[in-house]
Amino acid sequence: MAVTERTESFADLVVDDPREFRVHGSVYTDAEVFAAELERIFERTWVYAGHESELPAAGDYKTILVGTQPVILSRHEDGKVHALYNRCRHRGAVVCRQERGHSNFFRCRYHNWVYANNGDLIGMSQSTGYPDDFDRSAYGLVPVSRMANYRGLIFISLSEVGPTFDEYLAPARKYVDAWLGRSPVEQLEVLLPPHRYEYPGNWKLQAENGYDGYHGNYVHLSWQRVLQLSKESTVEEVQKYRQEGAARGLPRGHGLLERPGSLNPASSWTARMMDRYPEYAKAMSAKYSEPQLIDLSARRNIFIFPNLYLFDTHLRVIVPKAVNRTEVQLYVYALQGVPDAINDGRIRGHERFYGPAGFGAPDDIEVFTEVQTGVRARGHEWNLFCRGQHRERVENGERIGHTTDEAPQRALYRQWQLEMSKP
Amino acid sequence: MARRPAKAVKSVLSAPEAERFLFAEARMLDERRFDEWETLFTDDGSYWVPIDPRKALGQGVSIISDDRKRIHERVYRLTQTPVLDQNPPSRTIRFVSNVEVEADGAGTARLRCRQLITEVRPGGLGQAGMNAVRLFPASCEYRLRRDGARWKIVQKKVVLLDSDQPHYNLSFIP
Repeated sequence: MAVTERTESFADLVVDDPREFRVHGSVYTDAEVFAAELERIFERTWVYAGHESELPAAGDYKTILVGTQPVILSRHEDGKVHALYNRCRHRGAVVCRQERGHSNFFRCRYHNWVYANNGDLIGMSQSTGYPDDFDRSAYGLVPVSRMANYRGLIFISLSEVGPTFDEYLAPARKYVDAWLGRSPVEQLEVLLPPHRYEYPGNWKLQAENGYDGYHGNYVHLSWQRVLQLSKESTVEEVQKYRQEGAARGLPRGHGLLERPGSLNPASSWTARMMDRYPEYAKAMSAKYSEPQLIDLSARRNIFIFPNLYLFDTHLRVIVPKAVNRTEVQLYVYALQGVPDAINDGRIRGHERFYGPAGFGAPDDIEVFTEVQTGVRARGHEWNLFCRGQHRERVENGERIGHTTDEAPQRALYRQWQLEMSKP
Repeated sequence: MARRPAKAVKSVLSAPEAERFLFAEARMLDERRFDEWETLFTDDGSYWVPIDPRKALGQGVSIISDDRKRIHERVYRLTQTPVLDQNPPSRTIRFVSNVEVEADGAGTARLRCRQLITEVRPGGLGQAGMNAVRLFPASCEYRLRRDGARWKIVQKKVVLLDSDQPHYNLSFIP
């Protein structure tokens, strides 16, 4: 580790000052901070692992990294998804190397121990080398400590202690429900494979950006010009829209950027789709009251601490790989119970802006790398997250700011500080 | 002197002609003559960079699945708007090889080739993401259609060798 001015305590790297909330630059660059984040945040709190629709059939699996630890999500014949440590109980090799696939069992390639999709040890080669009373049931793949499936979203925790899943999700739950509510059957199907990008910068730069309502007019001016070219909206209209709504910092590190809902097809995606597709309007109106419809037609970028964003087109998963290397996976999904044309339009719209060759996301990634380089300069050591502190209001535990304010980022770093303070 | 018969417009694409076409296209992109590149496409032309090449165009999400309008937007964005991701711009060199011409109907042709794009974005010392030389090997398929005196692209499909792996910045035209 480089010699720095950093204090010993990670908690001191965030200063929750009422006028000047600030974060120390070393949170993006210090490998010791990063190692502690993996251990204290990713390997301890609830983290998003995947969506049920990625594993539709018994035998389907995907592998993920939680912090530094390899984990398998596997659908067993019992219909349940199991989250298992990807480590043979014998000599420690992974039992699955693919990113995703379908298999009747997991077989360790080293000495041929075989496990069922729920982790049970069902086969050992040359088993006479073990006594007759060797208890196979004690040597299955180890399940992670806790798992929760919230309406298809699968979260896991590698720790037995800490808040329950319900406590963890509670502050963001109603927003998750509204996000899912755009499907009249409240279901979505992830369309594989995901968009993936990787940038030479810290994972929190993506976390800070997804609900940042301040950067759009500058980083995405190019995008606004493209919209103007195609006569979809003028730069002025987009910039005006970006003044509306709210940025909300929620308890437990969650947060969101919200553009107002409306039943006016000119200003809301849901209303526009209902206007265009009568069968969608019928299904939605049958299910929801008018105030509910207005609420769920709001456009929200919802961050679930520490690694998930819910966007209108995709689930975004942040995968920290090194202090200055991050992978981001964008799982585009189809809303169920809506006309195919709606989903086709959503997917094409997603491709237009997102992914490593989209018209918007690469501009964001570009500025992440600029921050990653800039914070190495130590003329001053703190990044400011104080925008809108003077005009923030508190309602039901939410800190609500102007759409361009940094209320959600402050929520992220308050939770970061809390988790990083626990040895 | 006997007048030679007017040279008939050939409706079959020869291998040398295919190479000339592909090399010229590669140089247009390397030299960032994007407006000119855009004119290579037919009015119904498309440009496709799939993640999973086994899927059909339009099925699921692609890295790029531009119809003709979106190709124009892509070129407009790169040439007329204040992009960050191509400022500074990528320098590229494209090697095109293994060119195969597949017979098709009269006036249409299918090409296969391999391409290796070497890309670098120059920047100041120590700038994250800058100055790293990146390689993008890919298999390409073209569907061409004769349009008067020239061949035009009906579809260009570029399958990156690591199409399903994460990429940093593919905003130069791969």
